[in-house]
Amino acid sequence: MKRYLILEDGTVYKGEAFGADCHTTGEVVFTTGMTGYQEAVTDQSFANQILVFTNPLIGNYGVNLDDYESLEPNCRGVVCREVARVADSWRKQDTFDNFLKNMGIPGIKGIDTRALTKKLRIHGTMKGSLIDPVNDMKHAFDQLHATVINDQVVAQVSTKHPYPNPGSKRNIVLVDFGAKHSILRELSKRDCNTIVVPYDTTAEQILALKPDGVMLSNGPGDPKDVPEAIKMVQEIEKHLPLFGICLGHQIFALANGADTYKMKFGHRGFNHPVREIATGRITFTSQNHGYAVKEDTVDTNELIITHKEVNDQTVEGLRHKRYPAFTVQFHPDAAPGPHDADDLFDDFMHMIDIRKEGQNA
Amino acid sequence: MAKEIYDAMAMKRALTRMTYEIIEKNKGIDGIVLVGIKTRGIYLAQRIASRLKQLEGANIPVGELDISLYRDDLTHEADNTKEPVVKKSNLGFNITDKHVILVDDVLFTGRTIRAALDALMDQGRPKTINLAVLVDRGHRELPIRADFVGKNIPTSLDEEIAVYVDEVDHKDGIELRDIPKK
Repeated sequence: MKRYLILEDGTVYKGEAFGADCHTTGEVVFTTGMTGYQEAVTDQSFANQILVFTNPLIGNYGVNLDDYESLEPNCRGVVCREVARVADSWRKQDTFDNFLKNMGIPGIKGIDTRALTKKLRIHGTMKGSLIDPVNDMKHAFDQLHATVINDQVVAQVSTKHPYPNPGSKRNIVLVDFGAKHSILRELSKRDCNTIVVPYDTTAEQILALKPDGVMLSNGPGDPKDVPEAIKMVQEIEKHLPLFGICLGHQIFALANGADTYKMKFGHRGFNHPVREIATGRITFTSQNHGYAVKEDTVDTNELIITHKEVNDQTVEGLRHKRYPAFTVQFHPDAAPGPHDADDLFDDFMHMIDIRKEGQNA
Repeated sequence: MAKEIYDAMAMKRALTRMTYEIIEKNKGIDGIVLVGIKTRGIYLAQRIASRLKQLEGANIPVGELDISLYRDDLTHEADNTKEPVVKKSNLGFNITDKHVILVDDVLFTGRTIRAALDALMDQGRPKTINLAVLVDRGHRELPIRADFVGKNIPTSLDEEIAVYVDEVDHKDGIELRDIPKK
């Protein structure tokens, strides 16, 4: 069956349909990871986006229950060069095609993803639709132009009710802006007793839970669309150790007076080199963000820039000068991607422990 | 048998973390000076200073204290009849009204630190003195505690901690090993 990918700027790509059988519209973005397609599709940071895989072959090792990053993904569609006809891995439990059908996510294959990626790099990310062949292309484009992508996307993907991720050691509150399971996995690995709360939980509500530390999760969209979280962070950072990832990093920056902007085509993939300023050490990181912190708006009396992207010098890490709070733009929880930076979770544990020690002393 | 507890990378990370903690505790780097104790503390202090320079772009002065011990750097024989004495101090700057960060590799009985505190007090009146150590191995004999600790390593008195720094030992790392029986 044929399927078309149409873009805001009038481009039409013809390809073959796979995955779910439905129309879809979203922001077309590309990710450069060679593997990790299942994690990417289920990553809530891709909510309302159509995901282009630059790797030419997708689906070759199938999907499995272990690698979900969320159970109800909000990714709008996938675009591939080629989808493996046969998936083979000892971990395989399902094929990529079948998985997308179950999740209700349509896909298109057999299009020139290299040309598409180049276009996105030159013109920036844009709206696009996956549609069935139609006679009236003009109507399809009108519909695409008329579609407004939901800007309350954090509300859409965040949990509606708090839920626990039990452990027996430190008490952590994880504010869910679209959290990946891998963050919970990293916390579980360190035996944390975690409570996941909705994005609009207030500082008072969090403090009432008496946690030892607070984590701000990753998430989709523009950090300025969640002013309630910015207010919460301004209060919480004064009281508790804080660690933020991705959207949490941007919200922390906004809460401390810095500004953010929409990047042309963002950082999506897991080969992004990041320099740790203090030592010059480079780590390769997993990233997925379309917004970034403006470097010249960072108040250096309040914050230290701890990490920077090597290729385009984006601010990738911040730390507060007076409070025990630090955030990174990349994903130390990986999934998919390198685990180079997962010891940041250990740093957070250390931060919590020395604060506790100080209180008991 | 020697057991490597920290490798070079972990040591690097611990120093970076301590640097952040120093900034957080002092709410910036105004008035901070570093003073390293004897061989390895000096190099650790210099590494912290280089991190502070990278992060904040300021040159933090690093002074040196040489404290001779009743033991050499790596072996310890409990001999409570002698006290460590300050052999020579070369600070090269005035510490009055400064926030002094005293840096050493291992915190053990606390007697070296006490001697260092005396030496510092002779040189002026610092606003505060904080202690940063890469390893706290316990067994304090004096009421002294570190403000910034790279790693707490609980030890027995039959063991010793060896900190290696590249500048002297041509490698970085921390080892825990048994003291050979005589």
